[in-house]
Amino acid sequence: MRPPNAEPMLPGFVRQLFPAVAGLPLGPLLTLSLRSLARRRPSLFERLGESRSACFGIDPVDLAFAFRVVPEGQRSSVRVVSKDEAARSDVQIKGPLLTLLGLLDGTLDGDAMFFSRVISISGRTEAVLALRNTIEDAELRPADLLGLHGILARYVDTGVLGALSVARRLVDKNPSGAREA
Amino acid sequence: MTTTRMELVCPAGTPATLRAAVQAGANAVYCGFRDETNARNFPGLNFSRDELAEGVRFAHDHGSKVLVAINTFARVDDVDIWKKAADAAAESGADAIIAADFAVLGHVAKNHKQIRLHLSVQAAAATPEAIGFYAAQFGVRRVVLPRVLSLQEIAALNRAIDVETEAFVFGGLCVMIEGRCYLSSYATGKSPNLNGVCSPPQMVSYDEEPGGTTARLSGFTIDRYERGQPVGYPTLCKGKFKAGGRTSHLFEDPVSLNAGGMIAGLKAAGVTALKIEGRQRGKGYVSEVVRAFRKAVDAVEKGGEPVDIGRLLAGQSEGARQTAGAYEKKWR
Repeated sequence: MRPPNAEPMLPGFVRQLFPAVAGLPLGPLLTLSLRSLARRRPSLFERLGESRSACFGIDPVDLAFAFRVVPEGQRSSVRVVSKDEAARSDVQIKGPLLTLLGLLDGTLDGDAMFFSRVISISGRTEAVLALRNTIEDAELRPADLLGLHGILARYVDTGVLGALSVARRLVDKNPSGAREA
Repeated sequence: MTTTRMELVCPAGTPATLRAAVQAGANAVYCGFRDETNARNFPGLNFSRDELAEGVRFAHDHGSKVLVAINTFARVDDVDIWKKAADAAAESGADAIIAADFAVLGHVAKNHKQIRLHLSVQAAAATPEAIGFYAAQFGVRRVVLPRVLSLQEIAALNRAIDVETEAFVFGGLCVMIEGRCYLSSYATGKSPNLNGVCSPPQMVSYDEEPGGTTARLSGFTIDRYERGQPVGYPTLCKGKFKAGGRTSHLFEDPVSLNAGGMIAGLKAAGVTALKIEGRQRGKGYVSEVVRAFRKAVDAVEKGGEPVDIGRLLAGQSEGARQTAGAYEKKWR
């Protein structure tokens, strides 16, 4: 049985399958997504206040690469970077990928994950708090990030959230495999 | 024992959390504006005027109430900020204003007679005389009880007063003389009771160091955690300090209040409403805690078997530890 604060991590082979170079196309794609989201829901970024211009280093510990995110509305940017570069951001947030995605879609509670050390944060705490509260209120669905609407959005949300739920169940059932990461 | 059903009062830091609380079974939701007029003035948290009005519509459509916390203490040169917040709360159609400052209480009592006034825990009113004063002067209809009273004291208090009482049942503890905390002010220059920020986040850091994590507030080391050890809120009152040659949690332990096992006792003591702390917590916390307490309160109201809330909510507790606090106090 997994101890309560052990991370449900992706199996080690994922890191080998997706080296840092494989993540590079994600940067421009996620930048476009964020900017599109800012056009559609500007109030979401207003909640960030002064922290809009902060640089957030997001480090999924079970991937070979990390992200640097500046959530500055329509000037937002996302870059795929090395772990070292992410660590030099204003804010560093580290945790297993499935946990970080769970925080993004509201499945998981950020405070509970932090108290139990599943995720760790360092740097400008007020920016982390502003980001966390903004994400909480945004109720983002996968289709929001992709700019989809209608039936297609519903299919994508069902598919992506369903896949994440299955992935969480699988890594929960296979903690030994998870530790390989 | 009260014959009416107890009200479950739940926190909402954002509009999404308000909807989550209502959908999880809250009878009432409390929230505040995005400024220093409420005691949870944190980045990214709270409501604009428009968001509050929308939240009130949503809550009322689902049979729930909205209580607006304007519960910090007004500054002598800026009282209008607090008065305007009260005006906006009244205009939104909210059901009650939770306040502690005489200026705010007086303004609402004089100008917004249609809205209920609840006395915030920040007022630290814990005697029949103090509560009677607020009721007589401002028409306060409910008092949120300080978290320093035992069940027996609450029962005695309820026998002596004519207003409703609301008792905290879950969440962070703040057992100093509530409304008069100087610890955060001393360390950061910001007061929880004036600026609405206990341990302002811009002065908090969690530093990864050899051997673990160090939590600091404004440069003061509050606690050190070994790897994997649960951490707590970075407040001075829950820090670990050295005194008399011993390192300990000098003021209070980093534990969460959980009075889920005392719902029947609180009802018997005449309590009208049960309050869950945590406007700074997210939807996941609010949904889970409200659902668990909804189940527990309904079980008590139906005279059924008590629900084991401690087990249900262990993962949502600060420091992963829980206490029944002063309700079963064995100390003086």
